[in-house]
Amino acid sequence: MTHGLTDGQFFSMVASFLGPYYLALALMNGLAALYLWRSGQLKTWFSLPVPGLGKVAITNSAGWLLLATMFAILGAIAGSGWVSMLALPEGLRDAINQGTGPVVYSLGTTAMLVLLYLFRSFFVKPVVAWTIWNLMWLFLGLSMTDSDFYEIVAKPDNVPIVMLVFLLAFFTWLGTARAVENDDRIARGEPPLEKLDDEKVLVWPDLVYIELICMIALMAFLIFWAIALPAPLEEAANQAKTPNPSKAPWYFLGLQEMLVYYDPWMAGVVLPSMIVAGLMAIPYLDFNKKGNGYYTIKERPFSYTVFQFGFLEMWITLIVLGTLLRGPNWNFFGPYEHWDAHKVEALINVYLSDLWWKDLLGMSPPVAAAGSSTLTQIGYIIYREWLGIVLVLGYFIVLPPIMALTVFRSFYQRMGFVRFMVMTNLLLFMASLPIKMVLRWVFNLKYLITIPEYFLNF
Amino acid sequence: MRSGKADMADKKKMSVAEMIAAARKADSGGGEADDQPNKTDSSEAEAPAKVSQGSAPSKSVPKPGEAGRPSVAEMLAMARGEKSGAEKAAPKKAAEKKPAAKKPAAAKAATPSKPAEPRDTASILAAARKPSKAGPMSKAEAAAKEKANPKKEKPKIVVPPMPQKPAYAIAPPAPKNSSKKGAGEETRRGFLAEGFTFLGAALLLWTVATVKFMFPNVLREPPSKFKVGLPDEFPPGQVNTKYKAQFAVWISNGEYNGQQQIYALRSVCTHLGCTPNWLEAEQKFKCPCHGSGFYKDGVNFEGPAPRPLERYAIRVAEDGQIEIDKNQLFFEEKGEWDNPSCFIPV
Repeated sequence: MTHGLTDGQFFSMVASFLGPYYLALALMNGLAALYLWRSGQLKTWFSLPVPGLGKVAITNSAGWLLLATMFAILGAIAGSGWVSMLALPEGLRDAINQGTGPVVYSLGTTAMLVLLYLFRSFFVKPVVAWTIWNLMWLFLGLSMTDSDFYEIVAKPDNVPIVMLVFLLAFFTWLGTARAVENDDRIARGEPPLEKLDDEKVLVWPDLVYIELICMIALMAFLIFWAIALPAPLEEAANQAKTPNPSKAPWYFLGLQEMLVYYDPWMAGVVLPSMIVAGLMAIPYLDFNKKGNGYYTIKERPFSYTVFQFGFLEMWITLIVLGTLLRGPNWNFFGPYEHWDAHKVEALINVYLSDLWWKDLLGMSPPVAAAGSSTLTQIGYIIYREWLGIVLVLGYFIVLPPIMALTVFRSFYQRMGFVRFMVMTNLLLFMASLPIKMVLRWVFNLKYLITIPEYFLNF
Repeated sequence: MRSGKADMADKKKMSVAEMIAAARKADSGGGEADDQPNKTDSSEAEAPAKVSQGSAPSKSVPKPGEAGRPSVAEMLAMARGEKSGAEKAAPKKAAEKKPAAKKPAAAKAATPSKPAEPRDTASILAAARKPSKAGPMSKAEAAAKEKANPKKEKPKIVVPPMPQKPAYAIAPPAPKNSSKKGAGEETRRGFLAEGFTFLGAALLLWTVATVKFMFPNVLREPPSKFKVGLPDEFPPGQVNTKYKAQFAVWISNGEYNGQQQIYALRSVCTHLGCTPNWLEAEQKFKCPCHGSGFYKDGVNFEGPAPRPLERYAIRVAEDGQIEIDKNQLFFEEKGEWDNPSCFIPV
């Protein structure tokens, strides 16, 4: 899209986008200020002593109005073609590129999730949330002036992923805010918000009308979208030529990312089936009767954190990673990095058995003598891979009883043996993905158990 | 009252309006019967009573409106009854009197039997339907019912006998024992036989065409055995990608286990079947799908591919050219690359 464009041409193209973009942000903040003012939710942030007028109270409405003005000015600057002024500094972009290795990315999102969880009552405050919301949009706007970033983000394929990030941020905030408020109410002995408004409504016309209106609005939006961003068509299929990078549909990118770390049999068949079966098992594993019909975190801390980890961390961030940060040859690229098909990355895999036999003991791995029986060969294979087998079996067999005795003691007592084992094994399988990712990225460790003879790798 | 209801319910098909009317009639009739002794102005009250006796003794299903407002015919009948009974009252007067007479009667009927009178439609219907069992009934029940309420004789329709067919309408008798059929003559059997013959023929043609469809005239797959040139055309250290597009094979001249050899690698990633690319600058095969990497000799070293690329059978043909046979595959992890049919030593 930006190939063969000079900087000037590129900037004029971005300017035509960024002008309306910043004006829309200004409008958004202006509307927020208007809403606060009209609904009488004014709060005085601080008082500014102005000579002649005495103290002037700066309210939240005035604050957002000020921000709207700033965005309007940015829009004017961008619209006039002076885009290079609205870019993140080169040094910062380089630092972000260097910083967003896969390890930093995944561990960083985990850390962020933990922070958001621990300080949720702070982050759901409207002022804080609105500030973060504005910062997200500002970051996107400032980054758009980078041609490499623009090329990836503005690709019609990837626009929904950008929308997904923002929509998810909004809905996560919405749910968390309701939950935090409900938790406060429950702590005070009041019923949750949803119980106050427990009135039944009629399917017809109340619900059906809303659905009809939503349907029409969504249709209009999709038509507009299809006209504005035409779906990209690739060249005719050719068996000998795979597009580089070759990406799954966006909703499967989490699975595609998983395929990098596991044997194809595991990542393509076993784990997806376990995801489906595990989701179906949730109602039978869940013994917590609270939180039925209202948002709450404090009453369901385990379910909440597991879900947020599995959904936000293991599914959404992997989709974002696969869409925006995986480039040619499935290499990892920073957000402002050029997608160079010849980027050289030393990713030479090591196997655990090789580490044990070759590096630690300094000998070649044991191999059955040629022509020996199948059983002998299998015995030698098990001997060769003993460390990995012990680790994997220990992970899945020894850990659940330990968990039952320590951290999940009350769970075990309430769930019983079978349900507890199913739950912990699902949990351990879920946790094995980030473990495998970190092992791969940090140590280049490919498999713990390597038995290519029987397509058995883990 | 109950017996009246049962009577009514026995009429199998009664419209709703009829049921309501019948129920009201029964109620008001009962009320009137109760009221009779209390009545003082009998001259006025007698008129409707007479009417009901005179006009509808034989009618089992009362007409709608009979209880409330009498029809024109009933009015006339009523007037006649009055004439014959009282003689002195003129028809006009009777017509004038009648509504006045009716109203107090209805009002009186309403007052004493208060619980019965202002009934809603649903309760009337329910009451009317109750005695007869809903749904299917057993044979015994049906018989009992039949016995209890013998069906009313339907009026017999007398049909005049059909007239004799005229001579011209009588078909001439078919010629008996005529073994030879006329040319234009068709029997049903013959028609069916012909039809099925044609149908079978069409079906056979379809089958043949379908089978033919399975073997198109175009050969889409390149031959699995093909020649790629003399061994001199593959200098050491080079990977030939010329045959990748058509035959999905790389022919390379490289070192494996310390031996320089020419071999043919299948250009299918062992991870999930994408087609990797040969990157000359990095001297490796790299798969665009999940980033698997293979050395020049086809052994996997990075990314998720679980095993090395596969080799095809290769040999020097009688004319000195290299011939590749895609029908045979050789797997490194099974130790098959030592097999001399999968490489040409240089």
